[in-house]
Amino acid sequence: MHPKLLIVLALITLFPVSWALADSEGFFYKEANLIAGYSSRDGWIDKNGMMNSSVGFELYRKFSGDYGDFLIADLQMRVAYDSSKNSHQAWGVEIHNAWLEYKFSQYLKIRGGHFAPSFGLEPVVDTHSTLLQTLAEQDIGFNKDWGVQMRGSFPRFDYEASMQIGSGMSVRRQDGSYLATLRIGTPKDRNLQGGFSLLSGRTLETEGMSTFPRNELLSSDAVNKNRIGLDGQYLYGPFLFKGEFAYGRDDKNDVLGYLTEIVYTLPSHQNIEFELQYKSWISNIHVSSSDEPALTLGTTYRLSQSTKLSAAFSHDFGMMDKKPEDRFVVQFYFLGG
Amino acid sequence: MKKIFKILPILVVLVLFASSAWAAVGCSLNDPDRDVNRIFPESTGYKTTFVTIKEKGGETLKKEVEEKLKDKLEPVYENMDVPYAFYTVLKGKDSIGYIHGVNQKGKYGGMQLIMATDLNGKIVDFYYQKMSSPEAGKFMNIKFTSQFKGLTLDDFIKGNIFANDPSANSPEDFRATLRGLKKNIILLDLLLLSQK
Repeated sequence: MHPKLLIVLALITLFPVSWALADSEGFFYKEANLIAGYSSRDGWIDKNGMMNSSVGFELYRKFSGDYGDFLIADLQMRVAYDSSKNSHQAWGVEIHNAWLEYKFSQYLKIRGGHFAPSFGLEPVVDTHSTLLQTLAEQDIGFNKDWGVQMRGSFPRFDYEASMQIGSGMSVRRQDGSYLATLRIGTPKDRNLQGGFSLLSGRTLETEGMSTFPRNELLSSDAVNKNRIGLDGQYLYGPFLFKGEFAYGRDDKNDVLGYLTEIVYTLPSHQNIEFELQYKSWISNIHVSSSDEPALTLGTTYRLSQSTKLSAAFSHDFGMMDKKPEDRFVVQFYFLGG
Repeated sequence: MKKIFKILPILVVLVLFASSAWAAVGCSLNDPDRDVNRIFPESTGYKTTFVTIKEKGGETLKKEVEEKLKDKLEPVYENMDVPYAFYTVLKGKDSIGYIHGVNQKGKYGGMQLIMATDLNGKIVDFYYQKMSSPEAGKFMNIKFTSQFKGLTLDDFIKGNIFANDPSANSPEDFRATLRGLKKNIILLDLLLLSQK
């Protein structure tokens, strides 16, 4: 068996074993995610961006001894179906969160496994089930990667620094790929939050979200990436404002991306939310028409704490040889015991 | 359209999932390490437990909560399956206090009310982890939140609460805060303290 596959299997095996051996608390949730829609470019679709229809689970445990909690484990897996692929490639196992975190103190925790890089909004907002995503997919190429992280919290700020292999969903390393990221931000319990991020790495370009079998590698050459980023969120009454900005280089191209989003909770029916997002990724700021903007209007209706229905209409303005696209998707999402 | 029919097996599984639904976790601390150290500087750690009304007493316990609260629990967001996260604060191996949070519907959106108590359930600190109000700053100000220090379940049951509404135009959020805090201290008593 491939040694990298062995490492992943060993990590996954650790979860039930440690659950059985230590004093622990947590939950096991089943997940179902069904997406359907229509695209002016692709016709009928059953995916939204990188998110396929899927079923899966989340296993989350906190381990403790006489002196308190010392270890957290999270495993989030999906079996996904992509009807745009042939029958042999349509099914795939996606490993999203798969990490163990050991607590040394409030100021230092060490995490290992598969988790979000320490850059931008992605590590502080939960996009696992949402139709609207952050800039991470355009900016880094993926929103989770394999590696190690140190993080901690001080009274006035949080920090996290990650060293990952630069491959995203699948476990592969080639052409010296790696991803080093750092984010320093305000505590998450404030109505006004902000963060400052740095990134340096050589990342692999892939297509698809599958971990097993491995997603498709688009190029054997890694892309040199350097970034500086700012992000923020502000909660004011029924409005939540989100923003993200990143600037840097991809090989020899200067790149820039930004995102603005407003989430409005209907005060009279607080299980209904409306979202408006505008994001743009410019793959070379010195070349005109290298801008890739998209506008999305979404809504979410929560049927219960476990179940929600979402819908989104997005207009991709197109760039260079790509035509503009209108897309409408609906989503049924369930996460519960 | 054929693509849609290809995902029929997923739809079947999905229906099976929905038929056995439990709720996702209620209100947990964003950063328990920082909060525990801030509220209990002498602490050396904490231990997390997840508890539901269903597993600790079911329908009977739910009725007891509602009787003490003098209000019905909301069937979607406050049902018996919601797991509550309790943090038992430790000094060495000894317990020195508890921290527990609840979600509460406010005027403009959800609020998260976090309460810390001593071992007897007397409030030693209270703060909002999330507050959706244009006047959030007034509610989150320590001048307001500190008025609840020293209160016990008895004070909430007997109505011995003398805190004033800090807002100009959000009395609904003030009433929601009182309900959320009362719910919090009742749940702490029935799900944790009375079980010991």
